[in-house]
Amino acid sequence: MLTLMHNAPHTSFWIALLVGIASGSVGPFILLRRMALVGDALSHVALPGIALAIIYRLDPFYGVIVFLIGAAFLIYWLEGRSRVPPDAIVGLLFTASLAIGILMIPNEDVVESLFGAFPTLSLPLLLAILLAAAVLSALCFLLAKRFLFLIVSPDLAKVYGLGRRYDLALLLIFAMVVALGIKLVGTLLMGALTIIPASIAKNLAQSMRRYVILSAILGGTISVAGVWLAETFRFLPGPAIVLLGVGLFVLSLPFARRGMA
Amino acid sequence: MTDDTVLTVEDLGVTLDGQAVLQNVSFALKQGEAFAVIGPNGAGKTVLFRALLGLLPHAGLVQWRKNVKIGYVPQRFSIDRSAPISALEFFLLQSPNFWRPSAAFTSQLNQELKLMGLDRRVLQKGLGELSGGETQRVLIASALLQQPSVLLLDEPTAAVDAGFEETVYALLHRVQTERGTALLLISHDLSVVYRYAQRVLCLNKSVVCQGPPVDALNPQALATLYGETSFYHHEHGPAAH
Repeated sequence: MLTLMHNAPHTSFWIALLVGIASGSVGPFILLRRMALVGDALSHVALPGIALAIIYRLDPFYGVIVFLIGAAFLIYWLEGRSRVPPDAIVGLLFTASLAIGILMIPNEDVVESLFGAFPTLSLPLLLAILLAAAVLSALCFLLAKRFLFLIVSPDLAKVYGLGRRYDLALLLIFAMVVALGIKLVGTLLMGALTIIPASIAKNLAQSMRRYVILSAILGGTISVAGVWLAETFRFLPGPAIVLLGVGLFVLSLPFARRGMA
Repeated sequence: MTDDTVLTVEDLGVTLDGQAVLQNVSFALKQGEAFAVIGPNGAGKTVLFRALLGLLPHAGLVQWRKNVKIGYVPQRFSIDRSAPISALEFFLLQSPNFWRPSAAFTSQLNQELKLMGLDRRVLQKGLGELSGGETQRVLIASALLQQPSVLLLDEPTAAVDAGFEETVYALLHRVQTERGTALLLISHDLSVVYRYAQRVLCLNKSVVCQGPPVDALNPQALATLYGETSFYHHEHGPAAH
């Protein structure tokens, strides 16, 4: 059975399920840290990575992971420099990456790089992606208390010995989740996949523990359902997943709690 | 540092953005005492706390007793009201296991809730749904969970209804007397300082007066602190508060 997994559609379904769960697990913390826009822009940095990988005839995944981890360190460094979130710098830099990436990527690969495709992967790489997604999801649950502490009261968290290294851990987990999903969902839309399940779950959950669990379930469900829709109606998987998620978000709006910004 | 000294501060200075917001602050905090810090807005009270807690770089000496447990009660949560975080989960941030708290932790939590006069029903409320008084008591109860030997409180009644202020101080006084916890608190209310603090530090960028309230808070010191501020005004912008 495992030998069949590297052939589409199973590859796409497995990636959708596990990367969807990982996206849903990290999303609540990104959303509550008010990093949704930074996170969205971060996925664009993958594009020059894809371009370089194509030029050097490597699997684009390797270019993506190197560039995204680099971008996570960059955001962390920028946040340490100033009390003001460096949104503008991040926005400019990452938009520039998008522009550079588009210029470098061969025309026939542009749409796939931006909006994703049904990936065909070697079995070892597929298994590595699935394992990494499972580990990253588990890390979100294990570190939930520490991430939440830094969100609820950064000063209090520091007094109790939780330093900025957990901010870096969150950014790195986020960057890696984005890297894992980029082949399927695309550089333009992958950031959205991490934010959408968390946004829906935020409207429905009454407590943080339920919020993270619900967001993870929604992430997996929306991604698998999106892949199924894309396959059935011959869409690209990225837009199908994102539009399905946005539709569910609209349906969840009447349940939103008061005080929503 | 003598045996009953919990904290020694000598010549503490803090400079923010090139401006000195605190200079030459020296004092000592003893085990089990209530020590109040007073001063006008922008005097550097919160900056002092943040420096003591290691949250701001500073000059001079800040020496805590070895293995001291510090509890810190900030003024408020830094989170938006729509975040789905329950009061229980705020307490669970102090629990070794966030997802499945132990029976020992739950029993300790019940004890602190009782001490703060909070009903267990408050645990199911969202942090954004708590009233000012509930928020303050939740923050104090959470700080007490670690059984601290020192509690730092930054204006513990700033967000509390006027009628409830006295209750918060009475509860803190109980913590001090029953557990021997030292209280270091920023306050605006002089009557509270007279009533509950054994010693007071008047601060306006540097120390204006220090000692037992009845001695230290003489008319001249108060005039210097709150009235004729021009003598102590160094053309600085307001400190973070």
